[in-house]
Amino acid sequence: MRLIARYAKELENIFEVVTVWDEAVEKEQVPKNDPRIKTLTKTHPTAIWFERKMHDDFGILIEDAFDNRPLVHQERFPKSIHPMQKSFQKKSLAFDDYKAYKYEAIGGDGVFEVSVGPIHAGIIEPGHFHFSQAGEEMLHQEVRHFYKYRAIEKMLEGKTLIDAKPVIERISGNESIAYQIAWRDVVLQATKSQLPDVNHKYHALLLELERTIHHLTDLGFIPNDAGFSVALAFASKLSEEARRELKRVTGHRFGFAAIDFEAHTLDTEAMTVYLDTLQEAITFFESWIIDIPSLWDRFDTTGILKTEKALKYDTVGIVARASGLRLDRRDEPFYHEHGFVMQTQKSADVAARFKIRLEEVKNTLLMMRNFRVEACEAVKLGEVEDGEYFSFVESSIGELFMSIEINKGVIERFFVRDPSFVNWQALHLMMPGNIIADFPLINKSCDLSYAGNDL
Amino acid sequence: MIRFWNRRIKTGLLTENPEIDRELKVIQKEIKSLVSKKFAGSLAIRMVDSGSCNACEAECNALSNPYYDLERLGIYFVASPRHADVMLLSGLMTFNMVPHVLDAFKQMPAPKWVITLGACPAMEAPFEQTFAIKAPAEAHLSIAHHIPGCPPTPKEIIEGLLVFLRKM
Repeated sequence: MRLIARYAKELENIFEVVTVWDEAVEKEQVPKNDPRIKTLTKTHPTAIWFERKMHDDFGILIEDAFDNRPLVHQERFPKSIHPMQKSFQKKSLAFDDYKAYKYEAIGGDGVFEVSVGPIHAGIIEPGHFHFSQAGEEMLHQEVRHFYKYRAIEKMLEGKTLIDAKPVIERISGNESIAYQIAWRDVVLQATKSQLPDVNHKYHALLLELERTIHHLTDLGFIPNDAGFSVALAFASKLSEEARRELKRVTGHRFGFAAIDFEAHTLDTEAMTVYLDTLQEAITFFESWIIDIPSLWDRFDTTGILKTEKALKYDTVGIVARASGLRLDRRDEPFYHEHGFVMQTQKSADVAARFKIRLEEVKNTLLMMRNFRVEACEAVKLGEVEDGEYFSFVESSIGELFMSIEINKGVIERFFVRDPSFVNWQALHLMMPGNIIADFPLINKSCDLSYAGNDL
Repeated sequence: MIRFWNRRIKTGLLTENPEIDRELKVIQKEIKSLVSKKFAGSLAIRMVDSGSCNACEAECNALSNPYYDLERLGIYFVASPRHADVMLLSGLMTFNMVPHVLDAFKQMPAPKWVITLGACPAMEAPFEQTFAIKAPAEAHLSIAHHIPGCPPTPKEIIEGLLVFLRKM
């Protein structure tokens, strides 16, 4: 079974630990006065961040874990505070004394450590990477994040689904439409409402447009990190045009507030003109870039994530598909009817992750043509019913999982697992055998979100 | 590669400023002379994200695409705070980032300025106060200029930088 998420919530007298698998949901109850659980890391290594986070959030002890370091709470965070407990209601915290974080590092003669971040050299989100080096060669890397931790989960408690929307769509700017669709699916379940087919298509069109923007950006930045900046000039022009198209359709360059239950019209002719332009440009781009040997020399065999490791680490999205796993939330009748074809690669390297994006842009173009609708309708929603609702969306990075529990009409527990949260944990597997100068290239080939990961 | 250059020559220059083109032409000279007078020909910006949603960063990256090409105005994004005149600060000043933002600011050589970017650092975004947020930025640093928007578009960022330069 594939581990999707593991998180806790507080009920009246107990904590409940929810483990979401692809085929089942398990719930385990632990007493509040002595909360302990057993680790899942022996079979599912990516459980470790979920479990370390659970300890930070609720104070639940992971009995047999090999790693008990704090995850979200950094050097200056007060030690005994577990802010996801309902009794914690403070709106501000003072900095505590500095407690050093013990990084994973490899010792040995001549082995040295390199610390990178949280502030990086480019225009990029903050996060920390800690390398153990034998000369140029990377022996090990620890990914350390949560610098952007905003406590979104706590922030949304006590809000209605409608009031939570402006925050949810701003959790990760690159995946805003995906987050909004996950929210939409929760609203539909909670109000027992149906979405008309045209709305379904209209929203799918926006999601594919968002994917196109994100993929085009990466198709420029990945070659740029291999020193081929002319590809960035070309692809960043295309991503700017795609963003302007999103602005034309939704009124916002990132599609904030685009997914709702109102009626909208779409200028399908203008959309067709745009799609034709992009089609021509991407065809040229492919025939050109595929023919640059010095670029593929950098891409091929760099940052390999073997299929069995991709599976073991429960990876999702681009990273999983580039390693040969057939994993995509769009693998369902609605998308198949509109031209979806699962894209996978075998080489599992930077080249594979680049090619997947290229293939997906082409496939997405076909789907967007099929999703064009003149208008979508206003939907009348019923009353929100209390309960626990799950939704899954394939964002431009991978599978997004959202869980919202509603009690007395307001959010009792909000949890979301960005695809990046699992994929970040597999990043270090791609490093050994590569030189540190290739790290930015490998990292960019995955292009994971920090904001969605950190919450 | 020859095919690329053929296409490149046929495409010509894309750089534009759709709505502010005329205004920009008029003040382009002014920016260039301001940058040259006050910043010895180049204004170096260090972008620091203190907990944004990444949209502000995406728009700053867009400033380098062929449509905006910010560098032609003598304004550069630099890799180190030690090379910077200005810190462009986005995000909510999270509990975990504040010490690093202040470190980066300390590393900048004087004279130095902070420009806040987007709704977050001014605490104007829909995010509400939590224990993990230490915005507004002005509680920690002296802010020379604020560029509003959620996120500000590349055009709004350019205009904001112009206003900052005029203020100087």
